[in-house]
Amino acid sequence: MQTQRDVRNRIGSIKNIQKVTRAMELVAAARLRRAEQRIANLRPYAGAIRRMTRQAAEAAGTEAGRLPLMRQHDSEDHVGLLLVTGDRGLAGAFNSQILRAGERAAHELSSESMRVSWYVSGRRGASSLVFRGHELTGSYAGFTDRPAYADARHIADDLMTAYIDDQIDRVDIIYNHYISPLTQRVTREVLLPLQEAAVLEGDDKDADGEGGGDRDGETHGAPEHRALVEYEPGPEEILRRLIPDYVEISIFRALLESTASEHGARMTAMRNASENAGELIEDLTLEMNRARQAEITQEIMEVVAGAESLT
Amino acid sequence: MAHDKFTAEVLTPEGELFSDEVEMLSTRTQVGSIGILAHHQPLLASLDPTELRLYRSESDIVRLAQAEGYLQVTGDHALVLVEEAHAPEELDTADLERRLRDAERAAEQAQEGTEERERAQRDANRAQAFLEVAKGS
Repeated sequence: MQTQRDVRNRIGSIKNIQKVTRAMELVAAARLRRAEQRIANLRPYAGAIRRMTRQAAEAAGTEAGRLPLMRQHDSEDHVGLLLVTGDRGLAGAFNSQILRAGERAAHELSSESMRVSWYVSGRRGASSLVFRGHELTGSYAGFTDRPAYADARHIADDLMTAYIDDQIDRVDIIYNHYISPLTQRVTREVLLPLQEAAVLEGDDKDADGEGGGDRDGETHGAPEHRALVEYEPGPEEILRRLIPDYVEISIFRALLESTASEHGARMTAMRNASENAGELIEDLTLEMNRARQAEITQEIMEVVAGAESLT
Repeated sequence: MAHDKFTAEVLTPEGELFSDEVEMLSTRTQVGSIGILAHHQPLLASLDPTELRLYRSESDIVRLAQAEGYLQVTGDHALVLVEEAHAPEELDTADLERRLRDAERAAEQAQEGTEERERAQRDANRAQAFLEVAKGS
């Protein structure tokens, strides 16, 4: 039987842990709200870029298919995998499910005798992959709490340069798609080569997110305007710039989604931890009361026994 | 003379920066400087880093340092999409000078004709344009 003091010490330390987890939960909740806001802020911009891309691609006609980022390489034997993880742990399965999905994808690819180049954002992902003996081609960390557009641009630059210079033939991105604080879905998408279909009919795929913004924009690009539109410079040149931006936005969106997912996952994990701590404290309090009662009973028995021996 | 007004909107990946009625908007496309008045013909242009001016009236002018972006004019609506845009007073000259130097050095080191060099050159142009806006204010 533990003494009262032992139990009281344990209750004390668990209360401290509970304070920490509760504070982390609150911080994560605040950051989650901000991250959700940023996803919402990006939507009008992303929608507008996509509409312009479509417009320019239609004006440029067959020229579009010849752009290096849209051109498929003749043979596909070297794939870049971009894993989006977080800088910090304590977020439930957030990081590990990405790493698992990454390992699985790499296994699949190598069974089709393709080589894999690893690109990782987030300190957690980078350190676990290095620990597992993978060599990282690109590693980006220090911003997953609050990714800036420049961070996405940096990653996109590396990937696009490698693609254009024929070092990799395809790029897949694996990230946590944010659904709710409780649910994040591991998502794998092909980033490069850019699918012509995704650009020109991208609305169907993203209809869930961009509904409002796209609909009002549709009138701007209505067919009757198209013939009269003036392009400065020509549609091909504009398209040449728009396409990389499109890739940057896709990455930026994945980073933001991942950040929201991370805070959501951490919030949920910390809430569970606080609840568990609460339960533990209840159990221990019960145990402490029992220990105290045992001591009292013991003392009474001793007193009674002493009194009896005197009579 | 008062000009007709039209709506102008400036969007960045971080959200909306400006949305109001203006008389004129001026910026720079890849081809050259451009000013947009109401009833402009539909236009799609790609923009270079420069100072974006939004004229609410002749005296009330909003100035922004803008990065590369796009301008779309449809009917009586002008939409400016830029990667980043800042009010001139937000710009940090020392930081911009450092960025300019870094980018110029990167451009020199990269091989001629590579993607890498082009990107470094673009960064340099952006820092240069921002610096000009910062000094002009």
